[in-house]
Amino acid sequence: MKNMVKLGFIMAIYATVACVSLAFVYAGTQKVIAERQKADLEAALKDLFPQGESFEEVTGTLQSPDSSVSFKNEYVIKQGGTPIGMAVRAVGASYGGPVTVLIGVGTEGKIAGVKVLENKDTPGLGANAANPSYFVDRASGITFYGQFKGKSLSDPFEVKGDVIAITASTITSKAVTRVVKTAGQAAGTWLAAQTGGSK
Amino acid sequence: MKRFIRIFSNGLIRENPLLMLMIGLCSALAVTTATANGLGMGLSMTFVLLMSEIVISSFRKLIPESIRIPIFIIVIAAFTTIIDYVLKAYFPDLSKAMGVFIPLIVVNCIIMGRVEGFASKKPLRDAIPDALGMGLGYTWVLTGISAIRELLGNGTILNIRIMPDSYQPILFFVLSPGGFFVFSLFIAFNLWLKSRLKPLEEEQA
Repeated sequence: MKNMVKLGFIMAIYATVACVSLAFVYAGTQKVIAERQKADLEAALKDLFPQGESFEEVTGTLQSPDSSVSFKNEYVIKQGGTPIGMAVRAVGASYGGPVTVLIGVGTEGKIAGVKVLENKDTPGLGANAANPSYFVDRASGITFYGQFKGKSLSDPFEVKGDVIAITASTITSKAVTRVVKTAGQAAGTWLAAQTGGSK
Repeated sequence: MKRFIRIFSNGLIRENPLLMLMIGLCSALAVTTATANGLGMGLSMTFVLLMSEIVISSFRKLIPESIRIPIFIIVIAAFTTIIDYVLKAYFPDLSKAMGVFIPLIVVNCIIMGRVEGFASKKPLRDAIPDALGMGLGYTWVLTGISAIRELLGNGTILNIRIMPDSYQPILFFVLSPGGFFVFSLFIAFNLWLKSRLKPLEEEQA
């Protein structure tokens, strides 16, 4: 019994020292990490909406109608106080695990742009979903994610129909398309209700 | 000094953790798809190994035998978390690419093995060269494997295009079977190196 208390006490000392030193490192790095993540996100949003001036996080306003796609964060992009679009960070299941996509939707009912943020699919195949030098249409230099830009939300979003698939990666192509379609339509509906504009 | 070099060089070839002791292979094969990842993983691992061996070797007389494993894990986990935060803050791309394998350094056999089998029994002046040797032994193998895999599988090294544009990347090398393939070639190469080293040492002895 006495021995047990002694050993427990020794372990507590080691654990305390480790925790205290970790607390210092955490305090030192957390601010940098948070700032970097914010800067990354703003750069990504700016990429989708170059004319956007301010971004407001409105996470929780949208509900995913599809159980295989979940919405993580939503942002409203404003220019001079009026919303010009909405961006959704959405996650869906793909071949090698979840794929995270940022989808921008403009008020005119069109996809403003798509960015594949995280993707664990096969390098050289499914991972080409996020590759800026992989072209589904080599002649006009359109990337897989780039082909969604300017697409109307009322399109069918069908892989091998109006969406060109990545060679040998149908599962990835379908997964990304599904996420884009679900998030795009949800955001489009919300925006239309907000601005009262025609869809 | 001679003793330092002897222990240090031990981990590089003769008892290379990956190629001879064959421990810690899981993360080694998984992260070596790009040179930057291999190098980053190797150096992170060296840092954790060095700091853990230093701490455990210095306090080895204050660690009761019966609870040594939990204490080792506390020490290793603390340093792993530190490197995880630092990478996230200052090398976000690298941190993203290595993903879960950085936190998994905690349970990496190499660290546990060296701490339990070496640092907990040896004085600090032996533990430091051992950690550096083992860490760099791990790093050179990881960097080597990842450079070959990136070159053949993607045509680049450190994202700089080496192969001509007409080169069609051999996807096999960035996928897992390619990892095993290149790894086995490294084992063969290391055995050859070791066989060349041996007679040399006997002459000196």
